[in-house]
Amino acid sequence: MPAGMLLVAFALVCVLLSARYPWLVRFPAAAELPVAAAFNMALSAFEARTESAFKLVSRLLTSPMSMVRTALQLTPWSMVVLGFVAMAWRAGGIGFAAFVGASLLYVLGIGLWEQTMNSLALVILSVPISIIIGFGIGYLAFASKRAERLTNPLLDILQTVPAFAYLLPLLLLFGFGPVVGLIASIVFAFPAMVRNTMLGLRNVPSDILEAGEMAGATGRQLFWQVRIPSARYQLLVGVNQTTMAALSMVIIASIIGGTNDIGWTVLSAMRKADFGSSILAGIVIALLAMILDRLTAGFATRAKTHRSQKDIPFRAFAALVAAGLMVMYGASTRFDQLAAWPADWIADPSESLNRGIEALVLFTRPVLDAVKTGMLFFVMLPLKIGLQKVVGPASWGFQPGIWHVVGYVALAVSAASFALLKGRDVAASAILLVAILFYVGLTGLPWPVMVAVVLALGYRLGGLRLVAISGFALGFLLLTGSWQKAMLSVYLGSLAVILSFAIGSALGVLASENETFSRLMRPVNDTMQTMPQFVLLIPVVMLFAIGDFTALIAIIFYAYVPAFRYAEAGLRQVDGRVVEAATSLGTTRLQRLVHVKLPLAIPNLMLGLNQTIVYGIGMLVIAALVGTSDLGQEVYIGLSAGNFGQGMVAGLGMAAIAMLADSFCKAWQRHYRTRIRNG
Amino acid sequence: MNIRNLLCTAAFCAVAGLGAGHASAAESQDTIKIALNEWTGQQLSARIAAELLRKMDYKVELVTAGGLPQFTAMAKGELHANPEVWDNSITDIYTNGLASGELVNLGDLGLKPRDGWIYPPYMAELCPGLPSYQALYDCTQAFSNAETFPDGRLIAYPADWGTRSQQLVAALELPFKAVPGGSEGAMIAELKGAIAAKQPIVMMMWEPHWIFSQMDLNWVEWDASDGNCVESEESRGKACGFAQAHVNKIVSASFPDKWPNAAKFMEKYTLTNDEQSRLIFEVDQDHRPIEEVVAEWIDQNKDKWSVWTAP
Repeated sequence: MPAGMLLVAFALVCVLLSARYPWLVRFPAAAELPVAAAFNMALSAFEARTESAFKLVSRLLTSPMSMVRTALQLTPWSMVVLGFVAMAWRAGGIGFAAFVGASLLYVLGIGLWEQTMNSLALVILSVPISIIIGFGIGYLAFASKRAERLTNPLLDILQTVPAFAYLLPLLLLFGFGPVVGLIASIVFAFPAMVRNTMLGLRNVPSDILEAGEMAGATGRQLFWQVRIPSARYQLLVGVNQTTMAALSMVIIASIIGGTNDIGWTVLSAMRKADFGSSILAGIVIALLAMILDRLTAGFATRAKTHRSQKDIPFRAFAALVAAGLMVMYGASTRFDQLAAWPADWIADPSESLNRGIEALVLFTRPVLDAVKTGMLFFVMLPLKIGLQKVVGPASWGFQPGIWHVVGYVALAVSAASFALLKGRDVAASAILLVAILFYVGLTGLPWPVMVAVVLALGYRLGGLRLVAISGFALGFLLLTGSWQKAMLSVYLGSLAVILSFAIGSALGVLASENETFSRLMRPVNDTMQTMPQFVLLIPVVMLFAIGDFTALIAIIFYAYVPAFRYAEAGLRQVDGRVVEAATSLGTTRLQRLVHVKLPLAIPNLMLGLNQTIVYGIGMLVIAALVGTSDLGQEVYIGLSAGNFGQGMVAGLGMAAIAMLADSFCKAWQRHYRTRIRNG
Repeated sequence: MNIRNLLCTAAFCAVAGLGAGHASAAESQDTIKIALNEWTGQQLSARIAAELLRKMDYKVELVTAGGLPQFTAMAKGELHANPEVWDNSITDIYTNGLASGELVNLGDLGLKPRDGWIYPPYMAELCPGLPSYQALYDCTQAFSNAETFPDGRLIAYPADWGTRSQQLVAALELPFKAVPGGSEGAMIAELKGAIAAKQPIVMMMWEPHWIFSQMDLNWVEWDASDGNCVESEESRGKACGFAQAHVNKIVSASFPDKWPNAAKFMEKYTLTNDEQSRLIFEVDQDHRPIEEVVAEWIDQNKDKWSVWTAP
């Protein structure tokens, strides 16, 4: 009997026995380990020993923080705008400069200048600190193999554990106040710099290094004058990613210590369900992100490409800007309007936006309710609690009898037999396992079945290494008592990832074929990805009401973007000669897309899937704000209850799921590639 | 009343009463850190307290701190005071802190909060027995949706605020499912969405809250009871809803010794529901800056607070 069928038999036995032995579904509490308590004890021991050092750091950062804040506050807006526009012109040309100018005028026009400058102060301070820390650690990991082995898994954990899970220890160690927000954003931002530093230093071509050695450079000269300049592009990519990460923490930082910054504005608007104000402020964050992204990315590309002849030399440019700033300063002392934006130039369209969303709710709710109900009855609830509990007169319109069960079994078995006849025994067992899954639901599926299936699949795709990773991750979830909540996360996360990937890739394919659509979607994608996800929650709740479906929609809005981007990029990168060859063979446009371009773009689509998983699972924590009950919710409960262990266990559980999904994805891609190569 | 109050000389009190009181020698010069929570009501209470303490020549800093993590900091003496702490959604740190003396309760702020289940008036047509909770047994269907069928759907407080609605539903054997609300914003959005589309909704809510000044909402009523409601002893026919919260003024253990006059002020400081609701409305609905609203209240209520700031 093939291994797959053995698995099916095991699953059936477990399901049948689970009625009699409830521990098959609910992992016995007696076997759980007190991991959360251990975390709490470790933290308090650590805290007791190191508290004064951490408090010192936080005191040292307090005055630079308030200095930067005050400096930005006191500088006339006209000077700040001029400075940014000049930098933008330098980094990305006249078009980008115009975009920056318009964005900053928007910030002024809706009256959020002060808040925006306070958030900018946070970024201005946290980015250089993150870069220094990140570069230092990156260098250590580059110089010593042992440090590298330690660094990589730590970076994985730092980047996959939701930021909310480590807010509490930061608060306990560093105290309360704006500085903790700064530190949280540093902790979140520096890993990107570490990775890029390692990558950049390692990838310096050896012939350049040899040339340096032959020129008689010492070790130190070789590093600073040969290696660093050659790695400059990668290092600047690191700066870019660090900046974006720091900015994305602005909101989370204000949960624990913000006052009067833009994250705080979004949060208070969100608390009042004031959609208009929250979206106006959310757009400010998105614009800020786009500006800083293109500024840093622009300077990175300049480092790579040769300077064009047209460019004004840097010194002349700097002198010109300095002169402009002086003039502005002089003017703003004469004209108050140039120093502080006058209150009567501020417009607040938030009320009309609110009325708009209410009209939309009234208009669309009946249709949306029908969609939601259908989705819940036929897809979400079967996956969550199983067909055996869902099917009934109120949902499917009939009372299930024995014949319905027999029909279901017959359908599954005949589909599996058909697959067996075709010689696809893996597909056959997969069909039967899915049938069992939908019958009992993820929350009713005995855990030994889940463990067995994951381990078997892991062995098939990635050998013993993947089995070890899976065993570790699943063991963590079981032994910490997180299994039930984790299954809820898997249910919501997997549906969201599948839908985001499908929708995102489909739209991406469309965008690769249609230039207008592509251009239309670019700002939409940028906004979706950079606007704080909190902002989306309010309109989605108003349209779909609190619950799993709303959480699903909110996750999709955020996680479709990487799938879209990778699909579009992948299809556009397909070799033009191949397409021409296919065209000359007389294929139609659709045939070229399906049979030529898509197969060639599969590696890119897969990268998109990896990213979708990371984004989707990351969003689960935020989706908890619309009333889920999975691990994401546990993270909040831990934070609120001051229970570090509880929050950390839930956060690590989510990281375990994300890493597992990611490893399986990558293993499957390798598997797929070798199969292609071997025909 | 303690000895220090009795020793307070008439002249000294008169000077302090004008708002120009100087901290006595025993007073610490350290900055008093007052916690600023996420909701407008608490921010008003905290800012009024801060402004009045400044009038008493204290250095005061307002520190943003999450409503629940703040107790960790207060127990350690990093935050010093919060004039508005609701004791209905608190955690072990709070209870243990009060028991061990790491936190000190300086009395009731005077707000009379109310927790309960609310519904929009149009629900009375769909479920004619309302406002009595007994009506909910008969119109489960009207409140049901795809996620809760065949049970009715009740929006409860977010999971991190505790599970009181879930427990009450279980105790009353009410055919409802209490769905955690996720966050205050999501709950308000849910309410706004439901009311815009005139859809059924029953939700756990609290007063004072600005939403009551913006829309018409009714409370589900319980069986008559004699004063105190013990949530663990309820059943159908003997339901009293929720034990009503107290709003306390909490300070850190060292506060009364370090800043004795500030502690005396905190003991006397009170606000009423009406007062706070009006201020909340001005900030949240009229979009006036909170500092301005606070300054205005201080200008208009000198009679009231000059009694509190007198040492």
